[in-house]
Amino acid sequence: MQTLGEFKLPHFFNYPPYFTLQPVKDTREKQIQLWKELILEYCRTHKIFVVGLDEDFPLFSNQVIERSLSNEAREAFLSALVSEGRAEWLDKSHRKCLLLWHRIPDWADLMISFVRDNGLEDSVMTVEEIRSGVESRGTELHGMDRTILMRALKHLEHRGKLAIFKGTSADDEGIKFSI
Amino acid sequence: MRRRPGIGGLQNAAAARDQYRLLGENVAKLRTDLMKEQLATFRSQLEDFARKHKNDIRKNPAFRSQFHEMCAKVGVDPLASNKGFWAELLGIGDFYYELGVQIVDICLATRPHNGGLISLEELCKLLGQRRKGTREAISQDDCLRAISKLKVLGNGFEVISLGKKKLVRSVPTELNKDHNEILELAQGQGFVTVDEVQRRLSWSSGRATDALETLLEEGLAMIDNGHKDGRSRYWFPCVSSVSSYSASDAI
Repeated sequence: MQTLGEFKLPHFFNYPPYFTLQPVKDTREKQIQLWKELILEYCRTHKIFVVGLDEDFPLFSNQVIERSLSNEAREAFLSALVSEGRAEWLDKSHRKCLLLWHRIPDWADLMISFVRDNGLEDSVMTVEEIRSGVESRGTELHGMDRTILMRALKHLEHRGKLAIFKGTSADDEGIKFSI
Repeated sequence: MRRRPGIGGLQNAAAARDQYRLLGENVAKLRTDLMKEQLATFRSQLEDFARKHKNDIRKNPAFRSQFHEMCAKVGVDPLASNKGFWAELLGIGDFYYELGVQIVDICLATRPHNGGLISLEELCKLLGQRRKGTREAISQDDCLRAISKLKVLGNGFEVISLGKKKLVRSVPTELNKDHNEILELAQGQGFVTVDEVQRRLSWSSGRATDALETLLEEGLAMIDNGHKDGRSRYWFPCVSSVSSYSASDAI
Protein backbone atom coordinates (compact mmCIF):
# COMPACT_ATOMS: atom_id res chain seq x y z
CA MET A 1 0.00 0.00 0.00
CA GLN A 2 1.54 3.25 -1.09
CA THR A 3 1.66 6.04 1.42
CA LEU A 4 2.33 9.76 1.30
CA GLY A 5 4.04 10.18 4.62
CA GLU A 6 1.67 8.52 7.06
CA PHE A 7 -1.33 8.89 4.77
CA LYS A 8 -2.55 5.64 3.20
CA LEU A 9 -3.33 6.16 -0.47
CA PRO A 10 -6.30 4.34 -1.97
CA HIS A 11 -5.66 1.72 -4.66
CA PHE A 12 -7.06 3.81 -7.49
CA PHE A 13 -4.26 6.35 -7.01
CA ASN A 14 -1.88 3.77 -8.50
CA TYR A 15 -4.05 2.90 -11.49
CA PRO A 16 -2.88 5.07 -14.43
CA PRO A 17 -6.24 5.71 -16.17
CA TYR A 18 -7.56 7.48 -13.06
CA PHE A 19 -5.19 10.32 -13.90
CA THR A 20 -6.96 10.89 -17.23
CA LEU A 21 -10.33 12.61 -17.14
CA GLN A 22 -12.63 9.86 -18.45
CA PRO A 23 -14.80 10.63 -21.47
CA VAL A 24 -17.60 8.20 -20.63
CA LYS A 25 -20.12 9.85 -18.31
CA ASP A 26 -20.72 7.02 -15.82
CA THR A 27 -17.03 6.23 -15.56
CA ARG A 28 -16.16 9.90 -15.14
CA GLU A 29 -18.74 10.31 -12.38
CA LYS A 30 -17.24 7.45 -10.47
CA GLN A 31 -13.76 8.85 -11.04
CA ILE A 32 -14.75 12.30 -9.80
CA GLN A 33 -16.36 10.79 -6.71
CA LEU A 34 -13.16 8.94 -5.80
CA TRP A 35 -10.96 11.97 -6.32
CA LYS A 36 -13.31 14.25 -4.35
CA GLU A 37 -13.15 11.93 -1.35
CA LEU A 38 -9.39 11.57 -1.60
CA ILE A 39 -8.73 15.31 -1.85
CA LEU A 40 -11.03 16.10 1.05
CA GLU A 41 -9.63 13.38 3.28
CA TYR A 42 -6.03 14.28 2.49
CA CYS A 43 -6.61 17.95 3.20
CA ARG A 44 -8.43 17.17 6.45
CA THR A 45 -5.61 14.93 7.65
CA HIS A 46 -2.91 17.43 6.76
CA LYS A 47 -4.91 20.52 7.73
CA ILE A 48 -4.59 21.95 4.25
CA PHE A 49 -7.09 24.73 3.62
CA VAL A 50 -6.07 26.10 0.26
CA VAL A 51 -5.12 24.21 -2.88
CA GLY A 52 -3.55 26.01 -5.83
CA LEU A 53 -4.13 24.34 -9.18
CA ASP A 54 -0.74 25.36 -10.47
CA GLU A 55 1.08 24.15 -7.40
CA ASP A 56 2.83 20.90 -6.72
CA PHE A 57 -0.02 19.57 -4.63
CA PRO A 58 1.10 16.00 -3.79
CA LEU A 59 -2.09 14.37 -5.00
CA PHE A 60 -1.90 15.92 -8.45
CA SER A 61 0.81 13.55 -9.60
CA ASN A 62 2.10 10.09 -8.85
CA GLN A 63 5.83 9.65 -9.59
CA VAL A 64 5.65 5.91 -9.13
CA ILE A 65 3.37 5.38 -12.12
CA GLU A 66 4.58 8.52 -13.90
CA ARG A 67 1.21 10.18 -14.27
CA SER A 68 -0.08 13.69 -13.56
CA LEU A 69 -3.52 15.20 -13.55
CA SER A 70 -4.10 17.59 -16.42
CA ASN A 71 -5.26 21.11 -15.69
CA GLU A 72 -8.70 20.17 -16.93
CA ALA A 73 -8.86 17.22 -14.56
CA ARG A 74 -7.71 19.27 -11.56
CA GLU A 75 -10.35 21.86 -12.24
CA ALA A 76 -13.02 19.21 -12.80
CA PHE A 77 -12.41 17.54 -9.45
CA LEU A 78 -12.22 20.77 -7.47
CA SER A 79 -15.28 22.17 -9.24
CA ALA A 80 -17.15 19.08 -8.19
CA LEU A 81 -16.20 19.81 -4.60
CA VAL A 82 -17.35 23.40 -5.04
CA SER A 83 -20.70 22.25 -6.41
CA GLU A 84 -21.13 20.06 -3.38
CA GLY A 85 -20.42 22.95 -1.04
CA ARG A 86 -17.20 21.34 0.20
CA ALA A 87 -14.95 23.98 -1.39
CA GLU A 88 -14.97 27.51 -2.75
CA TRP A 89 -13.04 29.24 -5.50
CA LEU A 90 -10.96 32.08 -4.11
CA ASP A 91 -10.49 33.70 -7.50
CA LYS A 92 -12.45 34.19 -10.71
CA SER A 93 -9.93 32.33 -12.83
CA HIS A 94 -10.33 29.22 -10.65
CA ARG A 95 -6.69 28.84 -9.81
CA LYS A 96 -7.02 28.76 -6.03
CA CYS A 97 -9.51 26.74 -4.05
CA LEU A 98 -10.54 26.92 -0.38
CA LEU A 99 -11.27 23.47 1.03
CA LEU A 100 -14.14 23.04 3.45
CA TRP A 101 -13.47 19.56 4.75
CA HIS A 102 -15.64 20.76 7.61
CA ARG A 103 -18.58 22.81 6.43
CA ILE A 104 -18.97 26.27 7.94
CA PRO A 105 -21.80 25.20 10.31
CA ASP A 106 -19.60 22.32 11.47
CA TRP A 107 -16.74 24.72 12.22
CA ALA A 108 -19.27 26.85 14.08
CA ASP A 109 -20.28 23.87 16.21
CA LEU A 110 -16.62 23.16 16.94
CA MET A 111 -16.31 26.76 18.06
CA ILE A 112 -19.23 26.40 20.45
CA SER A 113 -17.75 23.23 21.95
CA PHE A 114 -14.42 24.99 22.33
CA VAL A 115 -16.03 27.90 24.14
CA ARG A 116 -17.99 25.63 26.47
CA ASP A 117 -15.02 23.33 27.14
CA ASN A 118 -12.93 26.29 28.23
CA GLY A 119 -15.58 28.14 30.17
CA LEU A 120 -15.40 31.13 27.83
CA GLU A 121 -19.15 31.65 27.58
CA ASP A 122 -19.12 35.31 28.54
CA SER A 123 -15.58 36.30 27.73
CA VAL A 124 -13.81 38.22 25.08
CA MET A 125 -11.08 36.94 22.80
CA THR A 126 -9.34 38.12 19.68
CA VAL A 127 -9.59 36.17 16.46
CA GLU A 128 -5.83 35.54 16.56
CA GLU A 129 -6.10 34.18 20.07
CA ILE A 130 -8.69 31.68 18.93
CA ARG A 131 -6.48 30.54 16.10
CA SER A 132 -3.13 30.41 17.83
CA GLY A 133 -3.73 30.82 21.52
CA VAL A 134 -2.93 28.31 24.22
CA GLU A 135 -6.54 27.28 24.70
CA SER A 136 -7.02 26.07 21.16
CA ARG A 137 -3.90 23.94 21.10
CA GLY A 138 -4.80 20.33 20.49
CA THR A 139 -8.15 21.25 19.01
CA GLU A 140 -9.07 21.50 15.35
CA LEU A 141 -9.37 25.26 15.70
CA HIS A 142 -5.67 25.64 16.18
CA GLY A 143 -3.95 26.87 13.04
CA MET A 144 -7.28 27.30 11.32
CA ASP A 145 -7.49 29.22 8.08
CA ARG A 146 -8.43 32.78 8.89
CA THR A 147 -10.99 33.10 6.12
CA ILE A 148 -12.84 30.04 7.29
CA LEU A 149 -12.64 31.15 10.90
CA MET A 150 -14.17 34.52 10.07
CA ARG A 151 -16.95 32.83 8.15
CA ALA A 152 -17.70 30.52 11.07
CA LEU A 153 -17.70 33.46 13.45
CA LYS A 154 -20.05 35.45 11.21
CA HIS A 155 -22.30 32.40 11.03
CA LEU A 156 -22.46 32.37 14.83
CA GLU A 157 -22.99 36.12 14.95
CA HIS A 158 -26.03 35.61 12.77
CA ARG A 159 -27.34 33.13 15.30
CA GLY A 160 -26.74 35.64 18.07
CA LYS A 161 -24.08 33.55 19.75
CA LEU A 162 -21.41 36.20 19.65
CA ALA A 163 -20.54 39.68 18.54
CA ILE A 164 -17.61 40.71 16.39
CA PHE A 165 -16.02 44.10 16.97
CA LYS A 166 -12.93 45.99 15.97
CA GLY A 167 -10.13 45.28 18.40
CA THR A 168 -7.39 47.46 19.85
CA SER A 169 -4.91 46.26 17.26
CA ALA A 170 -5.50 47.64 13.79
CA ASP A 171 -5.99 44.37 12.01
CA ASP A 172 -7.31 42.02 14.62
CA GLU A 173 -10.93 41.72 15.55
CA GLY A 174 -12.37 40.84 18.92
CA ILE A 175 -15.11 38.39 19.75
CA LYS A 176 -17.57 38.69 22.61
CA PHE A 177 -19.19 35.34 23.23
CA SER A 178 -22.72 35.03 24.49
CA ILE A 179 -23.24 31.33 24.11
CA MET B 1 -40.48 -77.18 -26.61
CA ARG B 2 -41.64 -79.35 -29.30
CA ARG B 3 -43.23 -77.57 -32.24
CA ARG B 4 -46.71 -78.67 -33.10
CA PRO B 5 -48.36 -77.79 -36.38
CA GLY B 6 -51.75 -76.10 -36.62
CA ILE B 7 -53.59 -73.76 -34.23
CA GLY B 8 -52.45 -75.61 -31.20
CA GLY B 9 -48.88 -75.05 -32.29
CA LEU B 10 -49.50 -71.36 -32.73
CA GLN B 11 -51.07 -71.02 -29.32
CA ASN B 12 -48.13 -72.77 -27.76
CA ALA B 13 -45.74 -70.43 -29.47
CA ALA B 14 -47.69 -67.43 -28.22
CA ALA B 15 -47.75 -68.83 -24.70
CA ALA B 16 -44.04 -69.49 -24.89
CA ARG B 17 -43.36 -65.91 -26.03
CA ASP B 18 -45.45 -64.59 -23.14
CA GLN B 19 -43.54 -66.64 -20.68
CA TYR B 20 -40.22 -65.50 -22.04
CA ARG B 21 -41.44 -61.95 -21.89
CA LEU B 22 -42.51 -62.32 -18.27
CA LEU B 23 -39.21 -63.88 -17.44
CA GLY B 24 -37.44 -61.05 -19.18
CA GLU B 25 -39.41 -58.49 -17.20
CA ASN B 26 -38.69 -60.29 -13.99
CA VAL B 27 -35.01 -60.34 -14.74
CA ALA B 28 -35.09 -56.66 -15.59
CA LYS B 29 -36.99 -55.92 -12.40
CA LEU B 30 -34.55 -57.97 -10.43
CA ARG B 31 -31.65 -56.08 -11.91
CA THR B 32 -33.33 -52.72 -11.22
CA ASP B 33 -34.13 -53.76 -7.68
CA LEU B 34 -30.57 -54.83 -7.21
CA MET B 35 -29.29 -51.58 -8.59
CA LYS B 36 -31.66 -49.59 -6.44
CA GLU B 37 -30.48 -51.49 -3.43
CA GLN B 38 -26.87 -50.89 -4.35
CA LEU B 39 -27.55 -47.23 -4.91
CA ALA B 40 -29.40 -46.98 -1.60
CA THR B 41 -26.51 -48.65 0.14
CA PHE B 42 -24.06 -46.36 -1.56
CA ARG B 43 -26.14 -43.33 -0.68
CA SER B 44 -26.33 -44.28 2.95
CA GLN B 45 -22.61 -44.87 2.97
CA LEU B 46 -22.18 -41.44 1.43
CA GLU B 47 -24.35 -39.99 4.17
CA ASP B 48 -22.26 -41.74 6.82
CA PHE B 49 -19.16 -40.41 5.18
CA ALA B 50 -20.58 -36.89 5.11
CA ARG B 51 -21.55 -37.10 8.76
CA LYS B 52 -18.11 -38.27 9.79
CA HIS B 53 -16.24 -35.74 7.70
CA LYS B 54 -18.61 -32.83 8.11
CA ASN B 55 -15.86 -30.61 9.46
CA ASP B 56 -13.41 -31.44 6.72
CA ILE B 57 -16.06 -30.73 4.13
CA ARG B 58 -16.72 -27.33 5.62
CA LYS B 59 -13.12 -26.33 6.17
CA ASN B 60 -11.19 -27.82 3.29
CA PRO B 61 -11.95 -26.65 -0.26
CA ALA B 62 -10.05 -29.46 -1.98
CA PHE B 63 -11.80 -32.08 0.10
CA ARG B 64 -15.13 -30.37 -0.53
CA SER B 65 -14.55 -30.39 -4.26
CA GLN B 66 -13.84 -34.12 -4.30
CA PHE B 67 -16.88 -34.71 -2.15
CA HIS B 68 -19.01 -32.94 -4.74
CA GLU B 69 -17.58 -35.16 -7.46
CA MET B 70 -18.40 -38.26 -5.47
CA CYS B 71 -21.95 -37.03 -4.98
CA ALA B 72 -22.34 -36.24 -8.63
CA LYS B 73 -21.32 -39.77 -9.55
CA VAL B 74 -24.13 -41.18 -7.47
CA GLY B 75 -26.61 -38.65 -8.73
CA VAL B 76 -26.79 -36.80 -5.44
CA ASP B 77 -26.84 -33.02 -5.52
CA PRO B 78 -26.26 -31.64 -2.02
CA LEU B 79 -27.27 -28.22 -3.26
CA ALA B 80 -30.52 -29.29 -4.87
CA SER B 81 -32.68 -28.10 -2.07
CA ASN B 82 -32.41 -26.28 1.18
CA LYS B 83 -34.34 -28.94 3.01
CA GLY B 84 -33.68 -32.56 3.64
CA PHE B 85 -30.76 -34.52 4.87
CA TRP B 86 -27.94 -32.75 3.13
CA ALA B 87 -28.97 -29.24 3.96
CA GLU B 88 -29.70 -30.11 7.56
CA LEU B 89 -26.62 -32.17 8.22
CA LEU B 90 -24.04 -30.19 6.39
CA GLY B 91 -25.72 -26.86 6.02
CA ILE B 92 -24.15 -27.05 2.58
CA GLY B 93 -27.14 -25.42 0.98
CA ASP B 94 -26.75 -22.51 3.36
CA PHE B 95 -23.05 -22.40 2.75
CA TYR B 96 -23.43 -21.90 -0.99
CA TYR B 97 -26.43 -19.67 -0.59
CA GLU B 98 -24.43 -17.42 1.68
CA LEU B 99 -21.54 -17.51 -0.75
CA GLY B 100 -23.87 -16.57 -3.60
CA VAL B 101 -25.15 -13.57 -1.68
CA GLN B 102 -21.61 -12.43 -0.94
CA ILE B 103 -20.63 -12.87 -4.57
CA VAL B 104 -23.55 -10.73 -5.76
CA ASP B 105 -22.56 -8.14 -3.18
CA ILE B 106 -18.97 -8.01 -4.30
CA CYS B 107 -19.93 -7.82 -7.97
CA LEU B 108 -22.25 -4.93 -7.26
CA ALA B 109 -19.65 -3.14 -5.17
CA THR B 110 -16.91 -3.47 -7.79
CA ARG B 111 -19.15 -2.74 -10.76
CA PRO B 112 -18.46 1.03 -10.81
CA HIS B 113 -14.79 0.22 -11.12
CA ASN B 114 -14.77 -2.73 -13.52
CA GLY B 115 -18.03 -2.28 -15.43
CA GLY B 116 -19.55 -5.55 -14.24
CA LEU B 117 -16.77 -7.91 -15.24
CA ILE B 118 -14.45 -9.34 -12.61
CA SER B 119 -11.76 -11.97 -12.78
CA LEU B 120 -12.59 -15.17 -10.90
CA GLU B 121 -9.26 -14.87 -9.15
CA GLU B 122 -10.03 -11.38 -7.90
CA LEU B 123 -13.55 -12.39 -6.85
CA CYS B 124 -12.19 -15.30 -4.87
CA LYS B 125 -9.61 -13.09 -3.20
CA LEU B 126 -12.18 -10.49 -2.18
CA LEU B 127 -14.43 -13.27 -0.88
CA GLY B 128 -11.58 -14.62 1.18
CA GLN B 129 -10.98 -11.20 2.69
CA ARG B 130 -14.63 -10.86 3.54
CA ARG B 131 -14.78 -14.25 5.16
CA LYS B 132 -11.58 -13.93 7.17
CA GLY B 133 -13.52 -14.28 10.41
CA THR B 134 -15.17 -17.57 9.54
CA ARG B 135 -11.90 -19.43 8.93
CA GLU B 136 -13.60 -21.39 6.15
CA ALA B 137 -11.41 -21.28 3.07
CA ILE B 138 -13.05 -20.71 -0.32
CA SER B 139 -11.76 -22.15 -3.58
CA GLN B 140 -12.48 -21.05 -7.14
CA ASP B 141 -14.44 -24.27 -7.46
CA ASP B 142 -16.73 -23.11 -4.65
CA CYS B 143 -17.23 -19.79 -6.40
CA LEU B 144 -18.18 -21.49 -9.63
CA ARG B 145 -20.69 -23.73 -7.87
CA ALA B 146 -22.27 -20.81 -6.08
CA ILE B 147 -22.45 -18.86 -9.35
CA SER B 148 -24.09 -21.77 -11.16
CA LYS B 149 -26.77 -21.69 -8.46
CA LEU B 150 -27.10 -17.95 -8.99
CA LYS B 151 -27.65 -18.50 -12.68
CA VAL B 152 -30.69 -20.59 -11.89
CA LEU B 153 -32.16 -17.52 -10.21
CA GLY B 154 -31.68 -15.64 -13.45
CA ASN B 155 -29.39 -12.99 -12.02
CA GLY B 156 -27.65 -12.52 -15.32
CA PHE B 157 -24.46 -14.10 -14.02
CA GLU B 158 -22.19 -15.74 -16.52
CA VAL B 159 -18.71 -17.18 -16.41
CA ILE B 160 -16.51 -16.37 -19.40
CA SER B 161 -13.29 -18.17 -20.23
CA LEU B 162 -10.39 -16.05 -21.41
CA GLY B 163 -7.50 -18.24 -22.28
CA LYS B 164 -6.50 -19.88 -19.02
CA LYS B 165 -8.40 -17.48 -16.81
CA LYS B 166 -12.08 -17.02 -16.08
CA LEU B 167 -14.11 -13.84 -15.76
CA VAL B 168 -17.43 -13.47 -13.99
CA ARG B 169 -19.94 -11.25 -15.74
CA SER B 170 -22.69 -9.77 -13.62
CA VAL B 171 -24.25 -7.39 -16.14
CA PRO B 172 -26.25 -8.25 -19.25
CA THR B 173 -23.61 -6.69 -21.54
CA GLU B 174 -23.08 -9.01 -24.45
CA LEU B 175 -19.46 -9.45 -25.39
CA ASN B 176 -18.72 -10.52 -28.92
CA LYS B 177 -15.69 -12.40 -30.16
CA ASP B 178 -13.77 -9.20 -30.97
CA HIS B 179 -14.26 -7.95 -27.42
CA ASN B 180 -13.17 -11.26 -25.96
CA GLU B 181 -10.01 -11.25 -28.02
CA ILE B 182 -9.11 -7.79 -26.81
CA LEU B 183 -9.74 -8.82 -23.21
CA GLU B 184 -7.50 -11.81 -23.65
CA LEU B 185 -4.78 -9.60 -25.13
CA ALA B 186 -5.16 -7.18 -22.23
CA GLN B 187 -4.40 -9.90 -19.72
CA GLY B 188 -0.73 -9.49 -20.53
CA GLN B 189 -0.13 -6.01 -19.18
CA GLY B 190 -3.60 -4.97 -18.04
CA PHE B 191 -3.96 -2.62 -21.01
CA VAL B 192 -3.75 -2.47 -24.82
CA THR B 193 -3.10 0.23 -27.39
CA VAL B 194 -4.87 0.56 -30.74
CA ASP B 195 -1.58 -0.24 -32.50
CA GLU B 196 -1.05 -3.35 -30.44
CA VAL B 197 -4.55 -4.63 -31.18
CA GLN B 198 -4.09 -4.02 -34.90
CA ARG B 199 -0.71 -5.66 -34.95
CA ARG B 200 -1.31 -8.68 -32.76
CA LEU B 201 -4.78 -9.54 -34.03
CA SER B 202 -4.25 -8.38 -37.62
CA TRP B 203 -7.25 -6.09 -37.62
CA SER B 204 -7.88 -2.88 -39.47
CA SER B 205 -7.55 0.30 -37.43
CA GLY B 206 -11.29 0.87 -37.77
CA ARG B 207 -12.15 -2.54 -36.35
CA ALA B 208 -9.76 -2.08 -33.44
CA THR B 209 -11.00 1.40 -32.60
CA ASP B 210 -14.66 0.36 -32.81
CA ALA B 211 -14.22 -2.53 -30.44
CA LEU B 212 -12.18 -0.49 -27.98
CA GLU B 213 -14.66 2.38 -28.03
CA THR B 214 -17.53 -0.01 -27.32
CA LEU B 215 -15.67 -1.47 -24.37
CA LEU B 216 -15.04 2.07 -23.14
CA GLU B 217 -18.72 2.97 -23.48
CA GLU B 218 -19.78 -0.15 -21.61
CA GLY B 219 -17.60 0.84 -18.69
CA LEU B 220 -15.33 -2.16 -19.10
CA ALA B 221 -12.34 -0.08 -20.13
CA MET B 222 -10.75 3.16 -18.99
CA ILE B 223 -8.61 5.40 -21.14
CA ASP B 224 -5.15 6.57 -20.15
CA ASN B 225 -3.52 9.43 -22.06
CA GLY B 226 -0.80 10.18 -19.56
CA HIS B 227 2.09 8.10 -20.83
CA LYS B 228 5.04 10.11 -22.05
CA ASP B 229 5.03 8.27 -25.39
CA GLY B 230 1.74 10.02 -26.13
CA ARG B 231 -0.11 6.83 -27.04
CA SER B 232 -3.55 6.18 -25.63
CA ARG B 233 -3.82 3.10 -23.51
CA TYR B 234 -7.05 1.23 -22.82
CA TRP B 235 -6.96 -0.35 -19.36
CA PHE B 236 -9.25 -3.17 -18.27
CA PRO B 237 -9.92 -3.26 -14.53
CA CYS B 238 -11.51 -6.68 -14.86
CA VAL B 239 -8.27 -8.38 -15.82
CA SER B 240 -6.23 -6.84 -13.04
CA SER B 241 -6.34 -7.35 -9.34
CA VAL B 242 -7.12 -4.22 -7.33
CA SER B 243 -4.12 -4.63 -5.11
CA SER B 244 -1.80 -5.11 -8.03
CA TYR B 245 -2.04 -1.43 -8.88
CA SER B 246 1.37 -0.58 -7.55
CA ALA B 247 4.72 -0.37 -9.17
CA SER B 248 6.30 -1.84 -6.10
CA ASP B 249 5.69 -5.37 -4.94
CA ALA B 250 4.14 -4.34 -1.66
CA ILE B 251 0.88 -5.98 -0.60
